[in-house]
Amino acid sequence: MGDALLCVRGLKVGFPTVDGVVKASNAVDLTIQAGETLALLGETGSGKTVLGMAILRLLQPNTRIEGEILYRGRDLLSLPQEEMQKIRGREIAVVLQNSGTSLNPVLRVGDQIAEAITLHRGLKGAEAEAAAVELLERVRIADPARMAREYPHRFSGGMRERALIALALACSPSFLIADEPTRGLDAVTKHEILALFSEINRGRSVLFITHDIEAAATLATRVAVMYAGEIVEIGPVDAVLSSPAHPYTRGLLESLPARGMRPIPGSAPSLIAPPSGCRFFPRCSCSVGRCETEHPGLVPVGPGHCARCMLYD
Amino acid sequence: MPGRNAALYLSLGVVLVYCAVALFAPVIAPFDPFVISGPPLAPPDAAHLLGTNDLAQDIFSRLIWGTRATLILGFLGAVVSVVMGTTVGIVAGYYGGRIDEAVMRFLDVMMTIPFFPLLLVLTIFLRPGIYVTAVIMGLLGGLGSVRIIRSQVLSLAVADFVVGTKALGARDGYIMARHILPNVLPLVGVKFVTSAQHFMLVGIGLGFLGMGDPNVVDWGQMIERASKNGGIVLGLWWWLIPPGLAVTGISLALAWFAYACEERINPRFQVMRV
Repeated sequence: MGDALLCVRGLKVGFPTVDGVVKASNAVDLTIQAGETLALLGETGSGKTVLGMAILRLLQPNTRIEGEILYRGRDLLSLPQEEMQKIRGREIAVVLQNSGTSLNPVLRVGDQIAEAITLHRGLKGAEAEAAAVELLERVRIADPARMAREYPHRFSGGMRERALIALALACSPSFLIADEPTRGLDAVTKHEILALFSEINRGRSVLFITHDIEAAATLATRVAVMYAGEIVEIGPVDAVLSSPAHPYTRGLLESLPARGMRPIPGSAPSLIAPPSGCRFFPRCSCSVGRCETEHPGLVPVGPGHCARCMLYD
Repeated sequence: MPGRNAALYLSLGVVLVYCAVALFAPVIAPFDPFVISGPPLAPPDAAHLLGTNDLAQDIFSRLIWGTRATLILGFLGAVVSVVMGTTVGIVAGYYGGRIDEAVMRFLDVMMTIPFFPLLLVLTIFLRPGIYVTAVIMGLLGGLGSVRIIRSQVLSLAVADFVVGTKALGARDGYIMARHILPNVLPLVGVKFVTSAQHFMLVGIGLGFLGMGDPNVVDWGQMIERASKNGGIVLGLWWWLIPPGLAVTGISLALAWFAYACEERINPRFQVMRV
């Protein structure tokens, strides 16, 4: 594995609301090596998307952000706006979460992809259009030349997802953030999209945000599990999925249909006033006394494998 | 449904005819609208299709030339109003925060001042020509459009595709011009047509109240002359009725056109077609 491409240090993200600050990300540390695919697993509301958007600095302007996000050694959080605009799309691209609404309904799909090419690669008109068709072909859209001239409403869910992937790949970014690209797709389409990702992931660092353990297992080299704004377990994909260390990860795996379909009791805590000690202790089956008061740190449980749990402290 | 389309094309046709008349006024009008062209207060005959007024000016020629001034008032006013409304509305809605707050509070203040009296006061003080009048009308009348456009842009500014375009590294100006504007354009179009109709009527109103530009002929001033200088009392129908009918015609056509457009654009008005 190569050097660290992206390094997130102590990232705290808070959204001020009338009821208090929603702490969507609490001291997240994360390193992504060049060429690796890191799957970020977690349930809805655990802060996965917020982390992805924070890297691109696309959160609402009133968001409170602390910490460091180092990309190739430069702190993205302190870059001037123009520098950030040069990085977005060209260095770091994103496949957004909702494929249905992420394309402009009044612009042709080909034009939207061509626009990404024009913004960074300086190609114009017919050249950019040809490049857009090429990209659509690369993400395996049938009859790309014709579909490039169509509006988004003529695309099916799977095709929109492909179009979004083409959009993200337009400037061959070295780092790709894919935010739940398999959401809302049927099983066949999902596998096609995953196959497409395993192809485009080669030679590229990818942060693959998902709640689909199967998708993570297929694509990722490493897995990070997020719960209530914290990374509770991180490690090589085989280690995390075959011998999960954190009770939450174990719970997630046991909730899979293939492994008994036993849901984790309770529901995710409020991020305005999260539990004082371990954030998972109210739902945890193996909590001990100090879980309630002491906040556990990430401790190593195996080679490159860490968990945030008192059991290993 | 053919009826709806017919309304659309018929009204558009009428508007185009008026535009053609305004454009070719010097060719169509047989007389200079300001010169003495015959006996005063003459009833219609072959030379004077609509007779003459108290100053012995040819009413038909005045009606033709009046189209020009009235359409300029309406359309120039609408252009100014829509350009201002769209620009300010998009910027305020897109950036939000303090810019939006400042714009909206300013609008709140301005909107408590009634439009027509304010316009009257400004016209009395500035004594503007028709072009300046149109611009003033557009600026005052466009305040309402700012609100409408802004409210649309508020939701567009946080739409996923806008976030996506930012994620591609696009600048704000680029996003506003290429992604937000096309999404509000249908609304802007309808607003343009309704504003044109509104400003035309306001222009007629100003003319009728004697605030018109004395260097041009407009229908408002024609009606004013007819009503003040005896057209009504003497029952000289050819003096009063033609400008009134001309106003009614263009106004109806524009209103119809706007409704027909809106019906096509706004899905809420769309009738189920099986």
